[in-house]
Amino acid sequence: MSTAAPLSPVQATSATQTLRQMMRQRDALRAPFEATWKELSKRWSTDDLDAWAAAVLALANVNIGPTGLIAYWDVSRSDTAAGIAPLLEAADAATEICRNAGARAAALSLKSLPIARNAFASEPMLTRWWSALRGLSREAPEVIEPMALRMSTILAPGSIDAFENFIAAGLKLAAGNKAVRLDYFTLQHELTRRLVSREFGGVDFAETERHLKTFVTALLGRVPLLRSLPPADTAIPRRASIAGPLIRLPDVYRGFEGDAAWSLYRAAAAHAHAHLVLGSDRFIVGKLKPLQIVLVGLIEDARIETLAMRQLPGLRRLWAPYHTAKPAGIATAPALLARLSRTLFDPDYADDDGFVAKGRALFGQSSPRLEDPAISREIGMLLGNDLGQMRVQFNAKTYVVEPVYRDDNLGLWDFDEPPQANAEVLEMFVDAARIEQQESDDAPRQENQAPDSEAGKARSVAPDQRGTVLATYPEWDRRHGIERPEWTTVREVAAVRGDPKRITEALDRADVLRGRVAQLVRGLRVGRSVRLNRQHDGHDLDLDAVIDAGLALRTGQDPDPRVFRSSTSKHRDLATLLLIDTSQSTSDRLASGATVLDVERLAVAVLAEAMQALQDPFGLLAFASDGRDDVKLTTVKAFGESYGADSMARLDGLASGYSTRLGTALRHAGAVIAPATSFRKLVLVLTDGEPSDIDVDDPADLIEDARRAVMNLHARGIDSFGVVLGSAGITAASRIFGRGNTMLVHRVEDLPSRLSELYFRLARR
Amino acid sequence: MSLDAYRITSEPYYQPHGEEIEIFRAAYDERLPVMLKGPTGCGKTRFVEHMAWRLGRPLITVAAHEDMTAADLAGRYLLEPEGTVWHDGPLTQAVRQGAICYLDEIVEARQDTTVVIHPLTDARRVLPLEKHNEIVPAHADFQLTISYNPGYQSAVKDLKESTKQRFLAIDFSYPPPQIESAIVTRESGADAALADILVAIGQRSRNLQGHGLDEGASTRMLIHAGRLVRGGLPLATAVQSSIVLPITDNPDVRAALRAAIDACMP
Ligand SMILES: Nc1ncnc2c1ncn2[C@@H]1O[C@H](COP(=O)(O)OP(=O)(O)OP(=O)(O)O)[C@@H](O)[C@H]1O
Ligand SMILES: [Mg+2]
Repeated sequence: MSTAAPLSPVQATSATQTLRQMMRQRDALRAPFEATWKELSKRWSTDDLDAWAAAVLALANVNIGPTGLIAYWDVSRSDTAAGIAPLLEAADAATEICRNAGARAAALSLKSLPIARNAFASEPMLTRWWSALRGLSREAPEVIEPMALRMSTILAPGSIDAFENFIAAGLKLAAGNKAVRLDYFTLQHELTRRLVSREFGGVDFAETERHLKTFVTALLGRVPLLRSLPPADTAIPRRASIAGPLIRLPDVYRGFEGDAAWSLYRAAAAHAHAHLVLGSDRFIVGKLKPLQIVLVGLIEDARIETLAMRQLPGLRRLWAPYHTAKPAGIATAPALLARLSRTLFDPDYADDDGFVAKGRALFGQSSPRLEDPAISREIGMLLGNDLGQMRVQFNAKTYVVEPVYRDDNLGLWDFDEPPQANAEVLEMFVDAARIEQQESDDAPRQENQAPDSEAGKARSVAPDQRGTVLATYPEWDRRHGIERPEWTTVREVAAVRGDPKRITEALDRADVLRGRVAQLVRGLRVGRSVRLNRQHDGHDLDLDAVIDAGLALRTGQDPDPRVFRSSTSKHRDLATLLLIDTSQSTSDRLASGATVLDVERLAVAVLAEAMQALQDPFGLLAFASDGRDDVKLTTVKAFGESYGADSMARLDGLASGYSTRLGTALRHAGAVIAPATSFRKLVLVLTDGEPSDIDVDDPADLIEDARRAVMNLHARGIDSFGVVLGSAGITAASRIFGRGNTMLVHRVEDLPSRLSELYFRLARR
Repeated sequence: MSLDAYRITSEPYYQPHGEEIEIFRAAYDERLPVMLKGPTGCGKTRFVEHMAWRLGRPLITVAAHEDMTAADLAGRYLLEPEGTVWHDGPLTQAVRQGAICYLDEIVEARQDTTVVIHPLTDARRVLPLEKHNEIVPAHADFQLTISYNPGYQSAVKDLKESTKQRFLAIDFSYPPPQIESAIVTRESGADAALADILVAIGQRSRNLQGHGLDEGASTRMLIHAGRLVRGGLPLATAVQSSIVLPITDNPDVRAALRAAIDACMP
């Protein structure tokens, strides 16, 4: 047995002895224990060691189990700088947590300690962190475990106050309700996300995304694809990461708040986008070693930044604050790398370390060839060799790119087939590869924008809870030529709330169309004045009328006194109800992978935005039917309410299903729009086929009924207009709405632009 | 009536950046009507002035607007002491006396106004004056040029196909950076370094066309900024008031544009 620990003969029954005794009997634990002991005994006095052993015994006595013990030893070893006090405190806290919440909770809490150490620099803050956990383990033992697993997300704001508030807010919100509590502490609850990221001064990716997109588009003339990067479940801080064409930015940058966070996001986005716009194709990994890979990336960073700053010198101000490496301290690999980064970035930085100076010289010599990415590989390989020979320690697994705004550079690399790289190198890329994979798995889901499972469930209401009855309507019986009173029943189906962000994202993707529509809006809003000639009074003489009057006078006729001209702004007074068909067929997929309903949603969103901007009153109503007793109507936006996140959430929550009993929907639409005070009233129907329902055999019946409903609306001064997707429903639609009031959209993808154009045409009438 | 007032006696500075001069000259030789397409403030007006000077023709410019009637272009009877007298409109003057007529921002005019130029711009080359009961054949030197900003194109305002297809088109986009910089230097008196910065700023804003801005900053805006700086304003202030504020009201776009502009500053 090889142990460096001196055993004090005086303390024969010391904790140390008891512990060693115990460990001798535990096969699985012996080796890790010995390793830990060996290391700790180099650092500490015998007394300290004994205190530590007592702490371990206490943990063992509450049955924390091997996982917990090993976790404790790991945290004991890993923080070489700290004294023993924080470790005793950790053991004490873990012991209490173990008693209150169980062994797993205690073990996971210990495992999350490195994350807390990373988030809070000072000891008093760690003490508060532990005591918050202790308190929680008393009040809500079941949440410790799930929460510990998400510690890095929860500590993202980086302040202990935020953490304490987070716990307090959760307990208050749940008010003893375990389900809510679990929801909250597993970060499922909506409130959690906001608390974690934003409310404590933190600025998160979502908040900056739009700004960053516009900013880097302006900088480099290409629209970036930005995504968020959730926090890792390790203590290693997140960096931006490029995957294919995607720039992924950390959800939050720990320790940066307010303006500092905004600036950092800008710096990071500009750097990453510069890689994509000014950088090379991917480098081949080949047989490079980890250090070489890191250095090639570092040189490439310097290369693209120098290129970018040639065009845009002000970028230096954006990036400079993060280059804080100093020519002092221990020359570890990460330190030397940070210094090299700085020396290549900052011409005024002086550093006479041989390695750093060599890097600067090599990079300087290549400056005439700066456009050539090959220099990154050449110089990086040379320097990687040098650094490797200096025998400085380098751990590829824990290495983090510095300065903070730079990306992990894994996106620069490509593997040859078959990969020749060594195991260590491959491991560097595992994580990146996994994330890339995830992204591509996600892709189809993002595309079709199907509401999440929860929404799906809510929609398939059981027959006995079909929604509140709103009204009954007559229906036309074609065969007998009579109207059957109270034949159909309209029920309000409460809207399922989706995610308004998906709507705004879809709008963002359609920004060209959106811009065009915005222009139409402006065209309609301003300057639509009409000139009125030959008026009794006005701001101007109507020259032609004056001359006519003059001629009349001379020829002895009665002049027409209306010799003025004036102008008046044409007043639009139009209320619109958009009736959206969500029947089963709208779940059909298009070539793009999107469903018909997805396209309808986008079309409605674009138009709604325009109508809102015009301040034209409008309502959005979705319909589907399941037999005459169950015509389902869902209010996406009522006339009275204004269009915003709520309506967008409801729009996103729409799901396809059931049939199309159009006549009833039209009658109800009439009832909804009738109270509007506008001069003109318009019901705009968006449908993808002819009417049908499960209890009607001959569609002609429903077509005829819908036609009568339209005539009925017309008689009440309400115009209806049909927009038909795909040519299948066109015959029916022109029968229902009349040829002049029907628009056929051949390609469903064209709907968003066609619908808005139609509105503007109708609105100008 | 003489068109001397419309003659351009000294050379208007124009910096070519493509084959526009050759194309225009060739078009003029054939008396074909020309449409100058491009965003606002990129030198279309200056170009026509320059060409009129080069070709030694008088230039009659009409800025189209919504209230413009056919009579405003062609002419009308006016009352004078001795009776009604016909007065040629600017277009008719140009047609009779052989000037170049430049209709600026033709889309602004109503479509029924625009059609008066149709007979002038096809093989007939005549201007019928219905009210005056006259058909004016175009002078041999007459030529019609119009300008048209495709950026404004929308369902509401667009040229009729039958109008569009009568014209040759010359594309006026923003000049390449070095040339634009030379123009800014010359027109604003800014030094070359400042002009380069302004041009870089202009490019940032143009990158946002369709992504927050309808149109990027024009050469004209850059010249304005240059003048303000020469007049003693700090660069950031000058850029803010001559470019950022006029170009958009959207605070988000402004903030992003400002950050991008900052990256252009030394
Ligand atoms: N190629 C050029 N050569 C010289 N000056 C130019 C050139 N391009 C632009 N400019 C300058 O830009 C200013 C604006 O140009 P100009 O008035 O000709 O624009 P425009 O295209 O006619 O704009 P708008 O469509 O708004 O009438 C001019 O006064 C001139 O100073
Ligand atoms: Mg990088």
